[in-house]
Amino acid sequence: MKKKVFLPLLMAIFVLMFLFSATVTTAPAKDKIVVGMSRPLSGPMAKIGDSAFRPVYETFVAEVNAQGGIFVKEFNKKLPIELKVYDDKSDTGTMTRLTEKLILEDKVDFLWPACGTHNIFAQAPIANKYSYILLTAEGGATSITPMLQSLPYLFISLSFSDWYQIPVWADLLAEKGAKTAYIISMADLFGIEYAGVSSIELPKRGINIVGIKSVPPDIKDLSTILKEAQKTKADALMVLAYPDAVILATKQSMEIGYNPKAFLGGPGVNFGFYHAIFGPATEGVSGFSMANRKTSPAMKELFDKLYKNKPEAANDWWGHPLYWAGYEFWKQAIEKAGTLDQKKIKDVMVAETFNTVLGPTSFKGGLMAKESHTGEIGQWQKGLFETVGGGKWPNTKVTAPFVYPKPKWPVPAPAKK
Amino acid sequence: MIVEILDIVIAGLLLGGLYALIAMGLSLQYGVARVLNISHGEFIMLGALGAWFLFGFGVNPLVSLAICGPVTFIIGFLLYRTVFTRLRTSSASIGAYEGSSMLASFGLLFIIQSIALIAWGSGIKGYTYLAFPVNVGGALFAANRLVALAFAVFLGLVFYFFLVRTRLGKAIRAAAQDPATAGLMGVNINQVLALCFGLGAMMAGFAGLLISICYPVNTTMGLEYTIITIIVVVLGGLGSIPGSFIGGFILGLIGSIVTYLEPGLSLAAYYVLFMLLLLVRPTGILGK
Amino acid sequence: MDKTTVLSKKPLFLGLLFLLFILFAFLPLYGSVYSVILVTAIFMHIVLTVSWVIFSGPTGYISLASAAFFGVGIYTSAILGKTFPLPIVICFGALTSFCLALFVGALTLRLRGIYFSMFTFGLVLLIQQLLLWYEVNITHTRGRFVIVINNATIYYVMFAILAATILTAYFISRSKYGLALQSIGEDEEASAHTGINVTVLKTIIFAVSALFAGAAGAIMATRWTYIDPFIAFNPLFSFMPVLMAIFGGMGQFYGSIIGAVIFAYLQEMLITRFPYYYMLIFGIILVVVILYLPGGLVGLLQKWRKGDLAEKHANT
Repeated sequence: MKKKVFLPLLMAIFVLMFLFSATVTTAPAKDKIVVGMSRPLSGPMAKIGDSAFRPVYETFVAEVNAQGGIFVKEFNKKLPIELKVYDDKSDTGTMTRLTEKLILEDKVDFLWPACGTHNIFAQAPIANKYSYILLTAEGGATSITPMLQSLPYLFISLSFSDWYQIPVWADLLAEKGAKTAYIISMADLFGIEYAGVSSIELPKRGINIVGIKSVPPDIKDLSTILKEAQKTKADALMVLAYPDAVILATKQSMEIGYNPKAFLGGPGVNFGFYHAIFGPATEGVSGFSMANRKTSPAMKELFDKLYKNKPEAANDWWGHPLYWAGYEFWKQAIEKAGTLDQKKIKDVMVAETFNTVLGPTSFKGGLMAKESHTGEIGQWQKGLFETVGGGKWPNTKVTAPFVYPKPKWPVPAPAKK
Repeated sequence: MIVEILDIVIAGLLLGGLYALIAMGLSLQYGVARVLNISHGEFIMLGALGAWFLFGFGVNPLVSLAICGPVTFIIGFLLYRTVFTRLRTSSASIGAYEGSSMLASFGLLFIIQSIALIAWGSGIKGYTYLAFPVNVGGALFAANRLVALAFAVFLGLVFYFFLVRTRLGKAIRAAAQDPATAGLMGVNINQVLALCFGLGAMMAGFAGLLISICYPVNTTMGLEYTIITIIVVVLGGLGSIPGSFIGGFILGLIGSIVTYLEPGLSLAAYYVLFMLLLLVRPTGILGK
Repeated sequence: MDKTTVLSKKPLFLGLLFLLFILFAFLPLYGSVYSVILVTAIFMHIVLTVSWVIFSGPTGYISLASAAFFGVGIYTSAILGKTFPLPIVICFGALTSFCLALFVGALTLRLRGIYFSMFTFGLVLLIQQLLLWYEVNITHTRGRFVIVINNATIYYVMFAILAATILTAYFISRSKYGLALQSIGEDEEASAHTGINVTVLKTIIFAVSALFAGAAGAIMATRWTYIDPFIAFNPLFSFMPVLMAIFGGMGQFYGSIIGAVIFAYLQEMLITRFPYYYMLIFGIILVVVILYLPGGLVGLLQKWRKGDLAEKHANT
């Protein structure tokens, strides 16, 4: 009996030796900037990561490297970026472990963000603990703002509910004389937050919220809720949920012939796949936005670069410009600091204003200043996601007036019968 | 009030039609071939993405049925002949086979999903087809869901008659009841079981196609539908095809009612129902 | 095997075990910080797998509730972590899991085979959804921060839990209860007739096995820094222990340990070295193991050694 245990034990010890031998690394000469990321390449988050940050970082790294890299004074040369991407399987536990692997074992020069708001929450304390700058991509939340004080290395690039989307949306509705709104929100941090901000900002401008329904993320039928919303005759319908639910709400609104005067859905409406799915039926649908090709020549150049030879589904008119601007900012901060030292670069990021694709861009208290934003609310008009609302800041560029009421859904669906 | 109730019932039936269709395939796979196929959802995904892919070339989704169905059938059939036949012949008991085949299907889930991921990426996909209301006697129905419902009923009936009336169907039922005797009676048991597994995969392919008309789809969608499928299959009685058919409608109705009352609990209601049923009547509503 | 060889091997075996113990006990002193983190994660997988095997191994009931027990530990730690010291939090996590398992065990007495598996899987999803609903509608939050503890402490706690799990599993399998469980697995009716109180035994052992998953969850939560119902009640943690145990081989006590170690390490290799093909390679390995190694790695080992022995006999 004992002998049976002996061999496996010996095996275990060999495995152990192998384990530790794998952890020995030698410091290479500095000829590149290694950037590490834990991304959801598989699992349920993959569909978000794939369409949001991934096209931006892939294009950004290719462009920087085509120019020879980032000039770092300390080494007196341009250093190209090398990406090290791990798959966290959409699991937060794995993500936290891989983040520490990147920092401790791979000793990457920079940490780039994991995907999703909940992962920002989990990753930020770790990055902060090891004094690694974490400039986030997908995700952002009001509830993280009180913590920013204690997380000096965290920088959030994405705009969010009260930063500064919902106030702009409420202004747009109020200007057009909307009096009531109905909210369908997803039962998660995102939905709670957006619904919460909406129930402060809308009543402030005299818009009554006549109903709020919270739905689980995997909901398969919204028709009864939509019919209820229809009965309230609310002027505006707001679907504050992730793309699957936003698309379902759009489809089912068409199917039951529900035509609210304003239809806001996000995130989801801002992506090219939304237009790819619904085509001309998107006319007048609103969502969260930042910019489009009409915003500025720089923006046009960026979108041409990002979406050249790619299907329309890959477009994102909200997140992509912000992530890009964030990393343009980051590159300039490194060049200005002249070193790869995280603390020095962080200090530059806190203090400086750089020119990015948005225009003058800065971070205030860990958030990308809302004054840097070029827009907040978009609306599909003739196949373009026009910016119809933004804050009253110099960078802001409204590209088309807000259409209200929204045209009715085409009935029956055009061209295909 | 009456209108509201009618709305809820109709919404439930339309959802239920999809659920029934999803579940019948797995019911066949488990009932006859004894595989609790965790990768069932991946065949749904293949059907859905296949339809989306073909729609890009202008193929009408209802025409795609004739393409996606056979393709998923062949994949299922070949998988059974290669993986599950070997497992079945090498397993000591039917219980051991059920366990190992479930785990093998878990591996298949990874493989199929990963290949789809490499081929199509993980982005959200969809298209619009028949997304308009149809007015029937004053009530509005979604045209695409009506089509899905009609297909579910049609396929369900065809399937039922196939099992009851045809020679092959009888062989399948014999194999389900007693594989050993059926083998002695001259039924080529491996061939029949592979056929069942393939047919189950085909049903999943059909269901996926109809799902793609109603919902956005992507390569990681499978597991979510597998879970719903398992709930329906248990509801109807493991392995009972008519049970799955009815179970699908019951689950759709319950989902619709709870969504109306408290949408936040609609999924929780599925699980509560599922677990209560397992406790009170594990053989399902139509099980023996 | 004759007695002399057993006696001569025993000191060697104990020596090896001791060496292994020392190697691990001082790991934080000589190993890199990340090796400590990685070994903690592997320990977690061993704890989950072995605790699953305690009940499901001998009885043949495939429980898919591991994620529920693990998640309950995680949530307990998130809720109590800020007010109570660590040992109390871990005990609470373990006890809450224990109570849940006791309750579930008592409920599912009548369920056999695949029905039991499904019920336990439903449990994971139900808790996840109810918790989500509760947090959204009652407490108006979702997600919680967990107190962060240094890696070495987490490592030692996990090491202690691991030792407790393995010892418990070992002693249960050697005790009369282990034999009784075995007989339940072979023929439940018959074992009831021989005077074993089947229901009580099943429920207690099920609950005891949950203790360790709960404790592991309570300590792992501190590594994850932030949790929500989806993170805590991830169905993957229900399937992983089953796969790991079968991968290693259920025929032997140490099979599940080997399975968990190699499986966890393999996964780590794949997600870091071949991130874009992780699922494909992983799936193929799974199918191949199930097809060609029905006894798991240990089965392979035994087959090889048996062949080896047979050859020796043939030669003499």
